[in-house]
Amino acid sequence: MQHTLEVLIEAVPFLLGGVGTTLVIVVGGMLLGLVLGVPLAVGQVYGSAPVRRAVGLYVWFFRGIPILVLLFLFYYGLFHLIGLNLSAVSAAVLVLGMTSAAYQSQIFRGSILSLSLGQFRAASALGMSDAQAIWAIILPQALRLSLPGWSNEYSIMLKDSALVFVLGATEIMARTHFVASREYQHMPLYITAALLYFLLTWAGVRALRALESRVAIRGYGRT
Amino acid sequence: MFKKISVIASVAVTLGLMQAPATAADKFVNGIDANFPPFAYVDKAGKPGGFDVDSVDWIAKRMGFEVSHQPVDWDGIIPSLLAKKIDFICSGMSITEERAKRVNFTDAYWEVKNVFVVKADSGLTEDDLLKGGKRIGVQQGTPEGDWLRDNKDKNGWNFTLRYYDSSPMAVEDVLNGRIDAAGMNDAPAKDAASKKPVKVAATFGKIDTFGCAVRKEDTALLKTLNDGYKALMADTFWQGLIEKYEP
Repeated sequence: MQHTLEVLIEAVPFLLGGVGTTLVIVVGGMLLGLVLGVPLAVGQVYGSAPVRRAVGLYVWFFRGIPILVLLFLFYYGLFHLIGLNLSAVSAAVLVLGMTSAAYQSQIFRGSILSLSLGQFRAASALGMSDAQAIWAIILPQALRLSLPGWSNEYSIMLKDSALVFVLGATEIMARTHFVASREYQHMPLYITAALLYFLLTWAGVRALRALESRVAIRGYGRT
Repeated sequence: MFKKISVIASVAVTLGLMQAPATAADKFVNGIDANFPPFAYVDKAGKPGGFDVDSVDWIAKRMGFEVSHQPVDWDGIIPSLLAKKIDFICSGMSITEERAKRVNFTDAYWEVKNVFVVKADSGLTEDDLLKGGKRIGVQQGTPEGDWLRDNKDKNGWNFTLRYYDSSPMAVEDVLNGRIDAAGMNDAPAKDAASKKPVKVAATFGKIDTFGCAVRKEDTALLKTLNDGYKALMADTFWQGLIEKYEP
């Protein structure tokens, strides 16, 4: 017991060092997912048939393959084949971002569809083009309504980031493994790692909740 | 407000992403399995350490190149080498014919036996383990694992083979009672026995030799590493390493 505590106390700063890498992966992946997901959603709702099919294919591909498989496929295979030399973290951000875009696009699509068609018609009646209506009227509302689903995606992304250790990125999970292999204190260390992830999830979700209140539009729900 | 957030976020992500590896003429990256003490591990300060890490650092100084050690998942370590993410592998890697088809090896620098690790109070013998319907754990992608698998039917043995991500994990499962023995090289076995209530029960299989792996086209690097090892083994530092790590 004494030995376990010593190992843990020594290991905590080392594990905390991995938080930076984990956050880079999570934030990078979420932002890439956002930047790709919104156009995908808009394309799926308002686009022509070929556009809708293309988006459907993208979503089907990235939702259909486990992230672990995608990480190996892209990092050791596709990226190398096309001559893209990325570090483990960059590759992870790309892969997780593209996958998240597939899931996020469905969150946004749901929010866009929940807005009544009257909004779009009113915008047209005022002389706005489709693009203007989407940019100025639909998206601001839809994105705000997507925040609850988005914070869900954040907590999923945080957990998926733990898989990136297989590419050699020294985030929290990799560091936990290193210490466990050296000290043979697997259980206490994995519990510590679990607590760390739990804290990060909780903090992030709380922050997003605050953001939700800040940007909430009156007239929806109980406001 | 969103503009502020997005600017800060994109700057942070850009900074975070500026870590693509650069291999200049004299800087090499050694890929290691950081879950393989005493040959390679990550110490309490977060720096790579171990018998192979220290050997390579000494050789780098002697032969005049810079080296950094990159932990890589063992399953992907040869693909990593071939994809040029790392330049060579000096990390308790056994020289096998199958691997030699895809990479070139330096001359052998170390020899290991393969042993079974069991609970300290267990009375199992080599015969029990091979023929008594027991469960044996090995690290994925290792010659000892392949040896057990290939020779099982040939010799009519009776055991169940389970694959683990690393030898320390297999040892943990021995302690958990999920497997009866873990098969691994004798060096990590000794390491495990010094830290947990397990012991070495018996040897099995062939004697494995360790060598460093390089890409087939890197003939100059191969020669550098071979010369480096020759120099290292003639120096007293080698003995010092052996005493320190007891591989």
